[in-house]
Amino acid sequence: MSPDTPRSAFCGAATRLRAPHTRGSLDGLVAALLADDGATPWPGRVPRRLETVLAAMPLPARAGVRTAAAALDAYALATTGRRLTALGPAERERLLDSLGARSALLPLLDVLKVPVLLAAGTERMLDHGGHRPGTALPRQDPPLDCTPADAWPARTTTDAVVIGSGAGGAMAARTLARFGLRVVVLEEGHHHSTDSFGKRTPLDRFTELYRDGGATVAVGNPPLLLPVGRAVGGTTVVNSGTCYRTPDHVLDRWRRTFGFELADRFDTALDEAEKTVRVATQPVEVLGNNGLLALIGAERLGWQASPLRRNAPGCKGSCQCVVGCPTGAKQSVQLSVLPDACAHGARIVTGARVRRILVERDRPGGPRAAGVQVRREDGDTFEILAPLVVVAAGALETPPLLRRSGLGGHPMLGRNLSVHPATSVAGRFDQPVTAWEGVLQSVGVEEHHSDGILIEATATPPGMGSFVLPGLGGELRRELETSDRLATFGAMIADRPSGRVLGRNRTLLRYGLDRRDADRLVRAVRAMGELLLAAGAEEVLTGIPATPRVHSLTELDAAMAKVSARQLHLSAFHPTGTAAAGADPQATPADPAGRLRGVRGVLVADGSVLPSCPEVNPQLSIMAAALAVCEAHLEGVETAVAVSGGVE
Amino acid sequence: MSTRTTTPERTGPPGAEAARTPEHSRPSGRGTTFRETMLGRIRLDGEDRDRPVRLDLHAAADRVPHPLGTTPARLTGRIRIAGWVDDPEAVGTLEISPLARRRIRYRIGFTADGHRFTLDGWKSISPRRPLASMTVLPYTLYEDGTAVGTGTVRFPLATQLLPFLAGFRFPRREDGTPLVAPRWNGTPGRTEVWYTTATDPATGTGLWLHHELVAPADGSPPFAHGWAAAFPQDGPVRHTRFGPTPWTRPAEGFRGDGVQAVPGQLSGNAGEFSWRLAEQPTDAPLYTFPRWSWRRPLLPAAQVLPAARARYTGTFAYQDTTLTLDGAPGASARIYGHGNAHRWAWLHADLGDDGVLEIVAAVSTRPGLRRLPPLVFLRLRHRGRTWPRRAERTAVGWAGLGRFRADVGLPSWTVTGRAGLRRIRVEVTQPAERTLALDYADPDGSPAVCRNSERADAHILLERWWGKWRTEAVWTLDGTAHAEVGGR
Repeated sequence: MSPDTPRSAFCGAATRLRAPHTRGSLDGLVAALLADDGATPWPGRVPRRLETVLAAMPLPARAGVRTAAAALDAYALATTGRRLTALGPAERERLLDSLGARSALLPLLDVLKVPVLLAAGTERMLDHGGHRPGTALPRQDPPLDCTPADAWPARTTTDAVVIGSGAGGAMAARTLARFGLRVVVLEEGHHHSTDSFGKRTPLDRFTELYRDGGATVAVGNPPLLLPVGRAVGGTTVVNSGTCYRTPDHVLDRWRRTFGFELADRFDTALDEAEKTVRVATQPVEVLGNNGLLALIGAERLGWQASPLRRNAPGCKGSCQCVVGCPTGAKQSVQLSVLPDACAHGARIVTGARVRRILVERDRPGGPRAAGVQVRREDGDTFEILAPLVVVAAGALETPPLLRRSGLGGHPMLGRNLSVHPATSVAGRFDQPVTAWEGVLQSVGVEEHHSDGILIEATATPPGMGSFVLPGLGGELRRELETSDRLATFGAMIADRPSGRVLGRNRTLLRYGLDRRDADRLVRAVRAMGELLLAAGAEEVLTGIPATPRVHSLTELDAAMAKVSARQLHLSAFHPTGTAAAGADPQATPADPAGRLRGVRGVLVADGSVLPSCPEVNPQLSIMAAALAVCEAHLEGVETAVAVSGGVE
Repeated sequence: MSTRTTTPERTGPPGAEAARTPEHSRPSGRGTTFRETMLGRIRLDGEDRDRPVRLDLHAAADRVPHPLGTTPARLTGRIRIAGWVDDPEAVGTLEISPLARRRIRYRIGFTADGHRFTLDGWKSISPRRPLASMTVLPYTLYEDGTAVGTGTVRFPLATQLLPFLAGFRFPRREDGTPLVAPRWNGTPGRTEVWYTTATDPATGTGLWLHHELVAPADGSPPFAHGWAAAFPQDGPVRHTRFGPTPWTRPAEGFRGDGVQAVPGQLSGNAGEFSWRLAEQPTDAPLYTFPRWSWRRPLLPAAQVLPAARARYTGTFAYQDTTLTLDGAPGASARIYGHGNAHRWAWLHADLGDDGVLEIVAAVSTRPGLRRLPPLVFLRLRHRGRTWPRRAERTAVGWAGLGRFRADVGLPSWTVTGRAGLRRIRVEVTQPAERTLALDYADPDGSPAVCRNSERADAHILLERWWGKWRTEAVWTLDGTAHAEVGGR
């Protein structure tokens, strides 16, 4: 333990002030979970790291972890007469064994393990020299016209306001700016340059780049982790870079079932999006072992698999896509689309949270959007008047924004939430895999895609294992120490829209897993296990508390027969559909052209406008939708001008 | 086509939106005017210090602000920015919408260093902070659409609230066009007149066009007739008559015998006269007689000006002279009633930018009433307000006390009177050589003689009481007053 090192002192200073009374509990929790015997220094630094992780999380998550830590401490006090920190390693181990024997507690302990493993992974990586900051960048970021919100005037006017700078917002901004409109893009997060990514650990970036420190949770059974990005570039800064075109059968369904007429434009819009973010098949050389094992497994099984198409030309295999690409290879929209928008005059305001869309209700012809009221980080507000407001705040933020703007009257607003739920499985190999050396999401296995199951070989950034390793105490520590032998696969399933976004000022998510989707998830776990075993895994870590390890297909089948999807660790990354566009006025809050119903001058141009789950990583689908929505709007404007005789 | 102009509702220059707003063009009962002063600061781009700013604004809306709606208004006034701007000719628009849009938006254009700037800002009304949000105006300054500075001005409640509230006025807003339409409903024994007088500023010539409908008292068919007259500066008065011709009941004004007087246009040929004039009203209607007397013809006759002042453009030819008018000042008036008065005097004095004075002093033909002194109806529209406030005030005073007095004669006649803290004295001179005498006939056939001069002189003295009578304004019209004296 080295509490006097400047770095750790810096990390701990703020948090000590913030919650001195819980530090003891967190120390005890970490020491117990990681079986800290003092032999190595890094576990001693984990509590401080854990504090910084918790500080970025929302209050309920923070309080939950602290309460659990305090409860564990209290349990130790009650059973041994001493707190966890005062116990020896063996006593702590016995204590955890007694808790681990209670199966009902296992899911709870798994949740508790997630932040601890994140912090521990990072500290261990630093101890092992796994992070090498400060390498020279191969290229400079293209320039952006960014202005912090506190430097933006209190009253301005423009032609169009775009709320959100993610895949949808960036594409909308570029389209409108190219048309000649003055565009202001409002982004709640901040601008992070590629250079800044290389200077901080992945975990530090994780807590900064994600909303709620990445701890956005959908309430339901099972609960679901739904991290979304918050930065200039939105989630595209922190996604894996995988770029699937919207499948034809999905477009057909959108067209036929929902009357989503913009689907007709998707072919060209997807071409444009692919060209913009330079999508290409990932070369095999940089895939890394994780991806190669997926290819080997699929080949042995005769399954259809291939390197994914990604927007990362010249990818170095840093495996840090989800915390900001440190080499600038990944063409997230702040490197590809937004610079083009800015070159055409668009301006980006950062640190600007839109409080509400201003609506003029006394306009002849019905209510009309007039601009936005925006809150700066210091609580002050400014306003921008514009006759066109493009909402691209993401599927989770758009419904609350519309509600607090008085535009949330449509009964389906916030409903129809699809999240593309995902689960992951790890396989232990006899040789080091070192999954974090290579492309983070490298290979797609589409054998079961027709059944709505898409398997992707997905590693995690160095020191940031998201897979919940089995065991407690010494067992967990051993798993952590040998995590370089793990290969991790993830599977996403095309789900029914069974979620809902509630809230006005703060998003509250509910998601009830559909029975069909639960079955799909179990099948997905089995398929991933089969793939890992075929690739030569010694054992498969299922993530299921009751049967965390299986060693053969038979054991896997037996485990799957007993498991329910509610026991899986679910996460999701692709929320869509909460302000869906379609022909039925009763079923869709937006009309077939993406215009919000009940008000003029509001376009929806993010994942929420998609009628249902796109069944693939949705970046291209969202970009194409935003492009189609804006182009349709501009064509309408041109037509109106032509009919009225033109304006010179 | 410029791509930048294709936005459906692009934020336009000051005045553009107000002009587009449908309610702007809709005539309404009353308008609103008020004054507002705001003080604050501005930080210009590239400067490291704030400059003090003062706005003295006058707002005028075409209707009374509706608390739940949006009211557009015009802004005029003065903007001062320390060390840089002092423009007393600032103009712009105001959008008053405290509840519907929760916004009071100011767009003010002004000139500085030969460049045109626009100050654009709005008070954002918040129910949580009603006072602050109603008094604080953050704004951005633009030059050609590019922001060049930002700042905030505030309404100083302590010093300005009372003057602000006391300064609210709700002047009546009226469209004069309907007043031009014929009033006659078929009743025998009525006469209706459309007359126009103007002065050609280029030649000093006075013009008079008189169009009259007569419905004889004996029930015989109505007929239209009239005359045109020119009062040249260097020659004798010329005139010609047209008609009589059967009345065809036109809808919008007077038509008959090739002569027409309709809203916006006067034209005709009569004898050696021909004229084609476009009329551009430049002021609101002026009711010389009480407003009710025009709506309900209870008095023997009533007179009204659809536009207190107007400008005339076109040609007016008589004999071998052709006048080309370009914005010649004048006015059209309307009379409807039983016939001419027993005795009367009339004056229309265009006071230029200051306003207009209209006087009718008349003695009724009715038995008993004809023994009374002339009833004086005097209306002075000065600085946007009409004095005295009620037309009855000058005629009857307070039960006869304090009524205005007229001493009608020729070649000079006078009107004097006092109302409130002001008093007025008007002396009109109609030299014989500039006066045209014409015979009139009432619907019942009674004759009358009118002596009219469109090149009369007038001297008007307006005084205000402030410890003593102090001169407020003096106007001397030398050959540009329009006057008439009639009798039997």
